Amino acid sequence: MMENRKHDSSPIVKIENLHLHYYTRRGVYKALNGVNLEIRRGEVLGVAGESGCGKSTLGRAIMGIIPRNAAIVEGKILVDGVDYLKPLREYFKRAKKFKPTKNQDLLKKVNEEMSKIRGQKISMVFQEPMTTLNPLLTVGYQISEVLFYHNPGLLASRRLARARATKEDTKNIVKILKEEGEGERLRQYLKNRNIMGLEDQIISIWRRKELHDLKKEQMILELCCEPISSMARGYLEQIEKTNSLPKFSKLPIVGRIVKRELLKEAFKKSAEFLGLLGIPDPDKVVYMYPHELSGGQRQRIVITTAMINNPNLVILDEPTSALDVTIQAQILELVKELKEKINSTYMFISHDLSVLSEVSDRIAIMYAGQVVEVGPKSAIFNSPKHPYTQMLMEAIPTIEAHELKAIKGEVPDMRNPPKGCMFYPRCPYAMPICKEKRPPLFKVGEDHYVACYLYGGEKK
Amino acid sequence: MLLFIPTLIGLTVIVFTLLHIGGTTKLLAMYLSPRLTGAARAHVIAELDAKFHFNQPIYVQYFYWLIQILEGNWGITNTPLYSGPVTQAIEIFFPNTLILTIFAAIIIWLVSIPLGVHTAVNRDKPSDNAIRVASLTFYAMPWYLIGVVLIIIFAVYFRILPIAGTVNPSLVVGLSWYHNGISYPTHILLIDALLHGDFKVAWNAFLHLIMPSVTLSLGVMAALIRLMRGTMLETMDQDFVNFARAKGVPEKVVINLHAKNNALLPVVTNFGYLVAGLLGGVVVIEDVFSYPGIGMWLTSAMLNNDMGGIMGGTLLFGLILVTTSLFLDILYAKIDPRIRY
Amino acid sequence: MSAQETTKEDKYRELKLSMEVFFSNKSAVAGLVIFLFYFFDAIILQFFPQVMPFKHPYSLTPNYVNPIPLPPSKKFPFGTTYPGVNLLTAIIKSIRLDFWLSLAVVVPGAFLGVIIGIVATYFGGLVDEVLMRITDIVFSIPYLVLAIAIGYVLGRTLDSMMIALILVWWPLYARYARSVTLEVKEITFIEAARAAGSSKMKIMFRHILPNSLPPVFVQMSLDLGTIMLAISALAFIGFLPAANLPELGYLTSLGYNYVETAPWAMIIPGMFIVLFALAVNLMGDGFRDVIDPRRRSAL
Repeated sequence: MMENRKHDSSPIVKIENLHLHYYTRRGVYKALNGVNLEIRRGEVLGVAGESGCGKSTLGRAIMGIIPRNAAIVEGKILVDGVDYLKPLREYFKRAKKFKPTKNQDLLKKVNEEMSKIRGQKISMVFQEPMTTLNPLLTVGYQISEVLFYHNPGLLASRRLARARATKEDTKNIVKILKEEGEGERLRQYLKNRNIMGLEDQIISIWRRKELHDLKKEQMILELCCEPISSMARGYLEQIEKTNSLPKFSKLPIVGRIVKRELLKEAFKKSAEFLGLLGIPDPDKVVYMYPHELSGGQRQRIVITTAMINNPNLVILDEPTSALDVTIQAQILELVKELKEKINSTYMFISHDLSVLSEVSDRIAIMYAGQVVEVGPKSAIFNSPKHPYTQMLMEAIPTIEAHELKAIKGEVPDMRNPPKGCMFYPRCPYAMPICKEKRPPLFKVGEDHYVACYLYGGEKK
Repeated sequence: MLLFIPTLIGLTVIVFTLLHIGGTTKLLAMYLSPRLTGAARAHVIAELDAKFHFNQPIYVQYFYWLIQILEGNWGITNTPLYSGPVTQAIEIFFPNTLILTIFAAIIIWLVSIPLGVHTAVNRDKPSDNAIRVASLTFYAMPWYLIGVVLIIIFAVYFRILPIAGTVNPSLVVGLSWYHNGISYPTHILLIDALLHGDFKVAWNAFLHLIMPSVTLSLGVMAALIRLMRGTMLETMDQDFVNFARAKGVPEKVVINLHAKNNALLPVVTNFGYLVAGLLGGVVVIEDVFSYPGIGMWLTSAMLNNDMGGIMGGTLLFGLILVTTSLFLDILYAKIDPRIRY
Repeated sequence: MSAQETTKEDKYRELKLSMEVFFSNKSAVAGLVIFLFYFFDAIILQFFPQVMPFKHPYSLTPNYVNPIPLPPSKKFPFGTTYPGVNLLTAIIKSIRLDFWLSLAVVVPGAFLGVIIGIVATYFGGLVDEVLMRITDIVFSIPYLVLAIAIGYVLGRTLDSMMIALILVWWPLYARYARSVTLEVKEITFIEAARAAGSSKMKIMFRHILPNSLPPVFVQMSLDLGTIMLAISALAFIGFLPAANLPELGYLTSLGYNYVETAPWAMIIPGMFIVLFALAVNLMGDGFRDVIDPRRRSAL
């Protein structure tokens, strides 16, 4: 399943000339002004920029999470080739006056469409782990929701496998594991016995590093002989086949049992994933509430929620900015590990370039609602071309003492952005044309593009 | 939460203070029946002096009075409705008010929460505006006016609902479990009728409850809908709601599980103020509908110079409010997992 | 709001935005208009009674010859109520009384509450605790009940009703003032600690008072409606033994006994109460839009 992704060379997200404006009483904030960007499958794209440059808005726009007073004025976002925001853009083009209520109606439809892929194909990690988690629900439930709504088949399959499996089966499984470890023979056996659902339960136990082998065997031997009431069993088998939920409102009592079984299963799987992430005592943790956990643990919960369904794209919006430096380092390690294990695509948004240097393959620099430079990490760090990027580089604190230069000037007022290059007022190399026209992206190196007239277009 | 003890004490202090504006005669008025004269009166005054120690400094007197209150001696009430010990009056009138407010509370919660959620989710749409206008109008209407309008519609024009008292008197004549205006065992007519299997009386009692409780609930409903709408709008902006959407949770679940349950927390906190307004409304509504509850008793006491009734009523209302607030606090602690002892 | 001075230009811009925000809310403007109508009625009758053709501008003029309520007609545009009182004139007189009565409760109540709140919270410690307990205790009794009790004990007169309502109402403002004071106290305490020798009290009052005024102002305008409702409720249940008082609640109680045969006698005065409460609520909502920073800039 994971190998297929590498063969598809089209970008998973393609943003073309995106303009997004916020309508408020204090004026129209032009948050995104012609963003051009693509996110390629399997890569980690870092997106950097100051506060207010629009990077968060961009991330959210890809997910389709936009407030009702945000208008898609122009441009599109193609997620795996699909333009989900089309209704909003069409509305804006038709409407004489922008009305948030009408926008809200269309947003509802967009949300409905996108809810199918959110948490499944694409997912997002927000900045503040404390406010991201619902304080009234256990963290286990919040992770389970994603499994419950998008992958109930997996949950049903796991539960049914434990019902079907016999003592014999588990003994054989342990034998296979001891002889060959996880591999094709194990999978064949499970398939033959129609207990594929046991696979990830077995693997997650087997891979745990802190347990003694004997303990692991014992736990695997226990993965059997759990009967289910026949009423529920029928529905569970149906869910396993179709991977979709029945209409619970129509099944009063049985529905409750089924739902409870599925959620219990989801809690178990969540605990397994947390165990893989190195959280101690995951079986206890899933029943805890967000305020009972530390900031680092909470962020790990959020990351689990985003990744447990193996999404194709994970957007991380400043995942470490709210945490202190030591936890920050841990989370970054985690992200790098996940990058190895789960071959998704990542969009890592941060204002901290040093963080991005750790994890990214490519980096895009944003300023005032536009992408001003994008290229491979080494190119950006070793030969930054855009004046803004260059200044950012000089402002990074490093081990070697060097003069920290603050960038003079301020971000332009986004209600009245300049008609030419956004950076013009602060740019030391400004030219007359920079004042008049917005520079497009010019190629300056291998896969390296800059939006600056220093590198193309009409000079002088 | 244990603060309710000093609050209760403070309550008694206020009542005691009120009793002493204008001298000890007011205290006497609370415990002395005005019909007593001459020697009998002097005798009773002497008895009261032994209990209350009128010659001592005032803070000492307070303690003696407090002891009397705690022992259940709340004075005498003397109104056309009822004359006798205050505690007896409470036994007669309180259950009626209790069922009235319970009915009203049920209506309020069942209607306001969904409407509040609806107006928040459908913000600025026609239905939102219509509901807001309607609720604002009811909020601005005095309780008695709402009651009278309902009376005019349902009792005068349509003649389907009764408007006075708890029950049609002819139905309860000669019943074994109903005498002197009290029903047994629970004193609540509706429940007792059901307990005794007398559905005719029960239905009649129910009919009598409808208009007063609906009137009572309309005023508070307006406030609660506005409150719910406000908290819901705030909650929907929060990160965890967006995160739930980002997980692909269906919108209905996002609204009803994530947003609504969190929005209910500040509502429960603020509900105490609404209960205070509700109890104030009870006074007026029972007057309009001639409903024999503690509100009507209080009004009657006020009109008939009955100190016992007024002070007893004040103490009672305060007690009810404090108890309700306590209950709400406990409820809140149960719902919010962040609060533990 | 920061402790720094804002420039004159900023202030002008903010003021202009405030006006825009308020006037863009159509219902708030409607509320303001209705409120002004009541206001002018009160002013004119109070200070220039000669303008109106009333022989007794401050009391009702019953007509015992024809005490039965009459329906609206050309002679009596709003009809009459028992005992023979012309509703139109009665209402005009009542508006004046009710308006000033509400004002007489809300303004002193707010004033008292805010001062007590600020001072007690500023001094902190025991004084603050005592204030909190007192407000808790007053809140523990429904305001209508407490007002009845206090008013009764003081003698059931108009004055005692006013005093009772003020006593019941000031804790609300004390609480408001307290929360603002606490906020500002946190911030300016640090500043004041650094500031050399200047009078802490002056600094605190210079910052607390302006910050507390906007929400207090909004609350005051909303309370004008609530108090008017409370006054009319008290009058309705018969708190004031004196007859002949032009008060909207009292008028409705006069009509109550004739509700089946002459509903207008109760509904018309009642409507004027509702109108005022509604107007004041809408107006207060508009003010809230102006001062609440989120509602101010949102769409």
